[in-house]
Amino acid sequence: MGKQKDDKYFEGILERNKYKIYRICNIYAVAPIEPQDLFQEVVFQIWKSLDKFKGKSSIDTWVYKISINVCLRSKMKFDKSNNKTDRFESIHFTPIEKEIDASKQEKFTYLKECISTLNETDTSLIVLYLDDLSYKEIAAVTGLSENHIAVKMKRIRKKLFECITPKIT
Amino acid sequence: MLEQELKDIWNNSSQTGQISIETNQLVEELNTKIISIQKKIRIRDNTEITASVIGILIFGYLFYEIPFPITKAACALAIIWFVFIIFKFRKSKIQNTKNSFHLSLTKQLKQQKATMQQQADLLDSATYWYAIPPFIMNFIFILGLGNPSDYNWVNSLAENILPLSVNLKTVTIIGLALFYAYAIWINKRALNKDVKPTIESIEKMQQQIKNE
Repeated sequence: MGKQKDDKYFEGILERNKYKIYRICNIYAVAPIEPQDLFQEVVFQIWKSLDKFKGKSSIDTWVYKISINVCLRSKMKFDKSNNKTDRFESIHFTPIEKEIDASKQEKFTYLKECISTLNETDTSLIVLYLDDLSYKEIAAVTGLSENHIAVKMKRIRKKLFECITPKIT
Repeated sequence: MLEQELKDIWNNSSQTGQISIETNQLVEELNTKIISIQKKIRIRDNTEITASVIGILIFGYLFYEIPFPITKAACALAIIWFVFIIFKFRKSKIQNTKNSFHLSLTKQLKQQKATMQQQADLLDSATYWYAIPPFIMNFIFILGLGNPSDYNWVNSLAENILPLSVNLKTVTIIGLALFYAYAIWINKRALNKDVKPTIESIEKMQQQIKNE
């Protein structure tokens, strides 16, 4: 697949997935690592691994695999060499100028707090679920069976709801 | 209802900022990073190979120059050991450079654990292939050093460097023993402080995945 490393192809992947990647990075980043550091590491690994994409799942599902693996490894400190990297000048993170809805922001803080009570693998399942991936797609990212995911999700959702309901209602 | 609300909260979370990417420049930066990493790996590999090659040259010279048979045998063993070290490091590096980020989470964890286990085995066994053999070789080398005049051997450089007297031999052997003991300690520390906890974390995650 000669076009895989085509700049336009790569650009398309990033444009479609950049906010999804950032949301995942935002959950997994633990100081001194910032979401931006994880984001660019994910981008780097996508570029590096693009040749290995075999088309068994959609490219967007494949991007989730890379994002979850990179973020999880960083959180678990598996890759000590990648603790802190130089920022790419070509990626800009700009805060939106319009006023941020404080209530939405507060609700997200609660959601983040509740997600942080889950273990690492449950966290990866819930972020994929919140990103609206089907069980089939979550199965492709995690390597688990759909049935196994269904059982796990039932328990994780219950735990998350119990944590967040008193906070946002 | 709550489910949809949570998904909305989640999706809105990335709307607090804008991410803009200049792809052409990014591709250049990514390629530069790949080249820089490859260069660092090459330099590290070359440094280790160069150190071993220097060792082979030194012991090759000593093998040729020194007349004492036991010391000659130690030089030959040292050369074999250096060659073994080159192959051992190369093999371990090839196994460690596999990129597994594109695999599913379960497969990636399995591969990561296998890689860490190889590192653990390498560090755990370092005493038997990295510390004890060179110490024994050095010990034999020093023990075999005799009186140069018995062999009509004249080499001022070697005579000035080699520990020919009993006192110098004792001090050198004690120094070497301390050095290799330190090397063993460093390896064990890396194993217990870094590698074992990582393996435990991976196993913990694998267990979390298995649990329903």
